[in-house]
Amino acid sequence: MARVMLDPRNWYAIAADHDVPHGHIYRTTLGGHELAVWRGSDDALHVWQNRCPHRGVRFSLGEVVDGELRCQYHAWRFAASGACTFIPAQPDRKVPGSIRATVWPMAQGSGMIWTGIDPVGSPPMLPDGAVIRAIPIAKPAAVVTQALPTDGLALMLQPLDEASAMVRGIALDGDLARADRVLTALRRRLERAA
Amino acid sequence: MDQTDPVLWNDWHPVAARCTLDPARAHHTMLLDVPLLVTMDGAAIVARRADDTPLHQDERYGLVWVCLGTPTRSVLPIPEADEPDRPAIVVGAIAVRTSAPRVIENFLDLSHLGYVHAGYLGDDPHTQVLPYQVDPLPEGGVIATQCRMYQPQASPAATEGFVVDYVYKVERPLVTCLYKANSVIRDRFDVIYLFVQPVTQETSVAHPLLLCLEDGSSPEALRAFQQTIFMQDKPILENQVPKRLPLGEGAELAIAADKASVAYRRWLSAIGLTWGVVQNAA
Repeated sequence: MARVMLDPRNWYAIAADHDVPHGHIYRTTLGGHELAVWRGSDDALHVWQNRCPHRGVRFSLGEVVDGELRCQYHAWRFAASGACTFIPAQPDRKVPGSIRATVWPMAQGSGMIWTGIDPVGSPPMLPDGAVIRAIPIAKPAAVVTQALPTDGLALMLQPLDEASAMVRGIALDGDLARADRVLTALRRRLERAA
Repeated sequence: MDQTDPVLWNDWHPVAARCTLDPARAHHTMLLDVPLLVTMDGAAIVARRADDTPLHQDERYGLVWVCLGTPTRSVLPIPEADEPDRPAIVVGAIAVRTSAPRVIENFLDLSHLGYVHAGYLGDDPHTQVLPYQVDPLPEGGVIATQCRMYQPQASPAATEGFVVDYVYKVERPLVTCLYKANSVIRDRFDVIYLFVQPVTQETSVAHPLLLCLEDGSSPEALRAFQQTIFMQDKPILENQVPKRLPLGEGAELAIAADKASVAYRRWLSAIGLTWGVVQNAA
């Protein structure tokens, strides 16, 4: 997947808290990077590169077992720290410390899960009562950024890859139905444009 | 466009099975990015390029083989195919959205059997891969011997789980096979070949071929069993990132149980394969 330039200092919202229920592995992309977002048994959330370091199988095919992520191919287990803890093919041997999943920064705030390359500070706080609706739009984030008008809806963008973005509309008045109408109209307008 | 790999360009690849060709219409397929048509003219099979550039054609083991370049050798000879009590059974063409070398490597992999093929070719907690031997083949390629794996349902005819002895070979870059003890006649081996047709750099068609002893299993049962096994592998194969097999040391982490895969990758690197792989950066 072609990479898209991300601002390395930014926090990007990549999922809502409720997108990742207990024991679930949520798959998304950010700027062409494939990510697996998973919730362990202690409710803690983790954002990892969606790829087992052994043979490159997507972690999102795997399973959360006893608070660890288990790859679907060879059942290697990875702890919350990213360290591999168990290799069933050689159960009696100590796992080399060099075998690790690639862990991304993670923060929770305003009902969202945030990550980034090397984000600074805390993710932005959204005002109380604001609601967020998300819609994928098949246009690059840079194109969506320039879209006006947005009928009073603040937009928050997750560049997915070079061709598309997850667009989140923040409705300060809490009106979900209106947020949906504005977002679908925006998508129609942008995707129809040549 | 990439320069087409001379190793594969001048080698033979399966592009169709005789038993699945329809006399009424052409079979459209692709080999190394080149569109092909395979048609039946009476009993004769004709493979040709869509642009009518000449190609070399052969038929072996129930499969139609094509070489787009200049063949330096014949289609791989398989002595077991001549043994009278081993009918050749074509399993069918299985399209896989990954590179051909990824498909071959998965076939050589012992440590996924207990998970991807749980209840068939392995089972938790019998997941330990015991040490096995890997050597180069004299004519190029890799052989893995002394492989042993506990299998609950090693074949359709197996009535109990048992420790199965295996030998794996890779004789050509996209041809691999295994020898495994027959479930009924345990002192003789079944032979299973896997030929992978490189369609594009990142898409393939697998053509498994069974050369199994007649142990009472019908061809339908053998074929269905093998298709079931392959359908368990397919979602794993299609979720490997990147789709091209990384040949650089350290690109993916190998352990002792991955000896056969490591040897396969090194051999591909040594013969300079470029198709469907990520070459060593050095």
